[in-house]
Amino acid sequence: MESGVILVVDDEMSIRRALHTTLEKLGFKVVEAARGEEALSLVRTNPFDAVLLDINMPGMNGIETCKSMRRLFPRIPILMLTVRDSEDDKVEALDAGADDYITKPFQLRELTARIRAAMRWTRAAAPSPDEAAAVLRVGDIELDPVRRTVKKASRPVHLTPKEFELTHQLMSYAGRPIPHSRLLNSVWGPEYGGELEYLRTFMHQLRRKLEDDPANPQYLLTDAHVGYRFVEKLDR
Amino acid sequence: MAIPFTEKRSWLYLLQQCAVSCAALAILTAIAFSLHFPIAAAGFMYLLVVVLAALRYGIWQATCISLIAVGCLNFFFIPPIFSFVVADNRDWIALLSFQVCALVVSRLSSRERKVARDADYQRIQMEKLFELSRGILIFDLHAPPGPQLVQLLRGTFSADDVAIFDADLVRLDHEGQWSPDQRQIARQAFLADKNDDDPSLRTTQRVIRIGATPVGAIAIRGEVDPLIANAVASLAAIAFERFRSYEKEARAESATQAEQLRVAVLDALAHAFKTPLTVICTASSGLQELGTLDKTEVELAELISQEAVGLNRLCTRLLQTAKLEASTVTLRTEPVVPSILVKEVVSQLAPTLKGHPVELSIQEQDTPLQGDPELLMMILTQYLDNAAKYSPPNAPIQVTVRESESELLLSVRNRGPLIRMQDRERVFERFYRSSDARDRVPGTGVGLSIVKKAAEAHHGHVWVVSGEQEGTTFFLSMPKLQVGGTKAWNLE
Repeated sequence: MESGVILVVDDEMSIRRALHTTLEKLGFKVVEAARGEEALSLVRTNPFDAVLLDINMPGMNGIETCKSMRRLFPRIPILMLTVRDSEDDKVEALDAGADDYITKPFQLRELTARIRAAMRWTRAAAPSPDEAAAVLRVGDIELDPVRRTVKKASRPVHLTPKEFELTHQLMSYAGRPIPHSRLLNSVWGPEYGGELEYLRTFMHQLRRKLEDDPANPQYLLTDAHVGYRFVEKLDR
Repeated sequence: MAIPFTEKRSWLYLLQQCAVSCAALAILTAIAFSLHFPIAAAGFMYLLVVVLAALRYGIWQATCISLIAVGCLNFFFIPPIFSFVVADNRDWIALLSFQVCALVVSRLSSRERKVARDADYQRIQMEKLFELSRGILIFDLHAPPGPQLVQLLRGTFSADDVAIFDADLVRLDHEGQWSPDQRQIARQAFLADKNDDDPSLRTTQRVIRIGATPVGAIAIRGEVDPLIANAVASLAAIAFERFRSYEKEARAESATQAEQLRVAVLDALAHAFKTPLTVICTASSGLQELGTLDKTEVELAELISQEAVGLNRLCTRLLQTAKLEASTVTLRTEPVVPSILVKEVVSQLAPTLKGHPVELSIQEQDTPLQGDPELLMMILTQYLDNAAKYSPPNAPIQVTVRESESELLLSVRNRGPLIRMQDRERVFERFYRSSDARDRVPGTGVGLSIVKKAAEAHHGHVWVVSGEQEGTTFFLSMPKLQVGGTKAWNLE
């Protein structure tokens, strides 16, 4: 059984009802809000473990609600529900401070997995200097930020400095999507942001070095049109 | 300046003018003779009459009068009087000087008069042309220009008849007394592509041209100078052109509006579908997650989920295509390395290809080309989806990338059924589905039309080759535009 209190914010009554029933049956406690303003006042007075926030709402839309919520509670896990296929929306959601997004319609299993992941990130305390230096491990991949080495199944993998930065960035946020522009910004510098081809080239190289089958990546996943995500844990 | 028809005077009119002048001469002669004027004084008086005749009537009348005046001078004033005999040779010189003087003076004064008259005539014609162009400017652009033009022309030039043939609208407009047969002169002028002035019938024909292309013809009966007729034809061409471009604009605008409406409706529909689909998906996948169902129930719940997902994919694609169709495609180009892009698409799509293995054959040439990665991915996605749809189960799909310095050739081959010759062009048309495919495979017939549009936006083109034995191969070829002005590749 799952546990935790989830705030579901959506203007569609049927969607709230479906999520309420199913999530509650799985063990979550669910609180509903139909509008962004309502959600904000609920968040102020009640503790929540995660917020599911629809982007398209009349009045205060999801993006604005997300921004305000993030200002009030920097560490509350926020998942955006997007219906549009516009990739700009997803990037905008991530830029507004959302931890993740999920596109409607979704499978419940995927939703609960994302909720769990989001709750885990935020339950862990802010990284202390010790943790920042801690070795990151996902599946067979091991990254040591101090020695600046990467190992795959205990065998060292040679990465160029930029490739290392990229992997480090992705692994630090394992499970969460990182938009292209943010990756370019943090790895190449603030004057970069639109050069997707750099990223594609590097991801291609990285997959060749880290993946068993570069054509079917297990670790370095593509979030179509949005960015990349390092898998949080390997399903095997 | 050519002499217009108004300058043609009847002989009667000429005689009348001469008679008036002669009468003036007779009166002067009577006065001068009775008062015993000397030759010189009489000569000057005659000269006055000649100059007046030149100013008022013209050079020929003045010449005629001058000859009569010389006769009178000789007969009445040069001794011996009442005879044309000249006794003193010096008087011959006087007569001759008078004649020359009269001719020169009359010539000068009549020329002066003609210049003034021409200027006046030109001014009037200019005013008429100006009036005409102003009239054309305030034409009602919703109505065809022909009827408005004939009315305006007839009014402006006080012409008896005006006929205009409009070749585009195939209509003949007329104002005046011409019989239906006579009006055909405008159509004939257009067909013969001939400009003509016929002074005897007082008829002028002009072909109306936009650029070098004849678009109609105009025929006028009345006093119209040939040069003015040319200008009228040019103005008529402008009126035609304005009507056409206005019509074109209006058509384009209504097409845009229809397109916008269509997109808005599609958008709203697709979004309206997404909410119930989300609920269905959540509910059915929720049922499965609970783990309390028996085997049959799980199967049924899975069925609901699957179909909801399928329906969602359809919505999504419709939405995308609507957006791509909506406007002229604007490219967001950036350097794209084809081999990487292809691998990325293949790896993304692999799980959805229903178990068809993808065989990649890439001739690596990691130089980037300028293109819109989203559109290029969309093209390949569409090709791969199609291949998976039409291939027999588990048959491989072959993806080939070939590059030269200047060109990219991409092909996707499947083992699917033959596409008949007559369908090969048409599969790229919107909503077209070959009759073989219609019954067997679900689809909307939009995907490939979008592919074609996206390829054309890259100055590339798409085609398909198909055979019983070798399967069906879809191609994309596009030029590799030079990558210019981008930042140097910072690979380290």
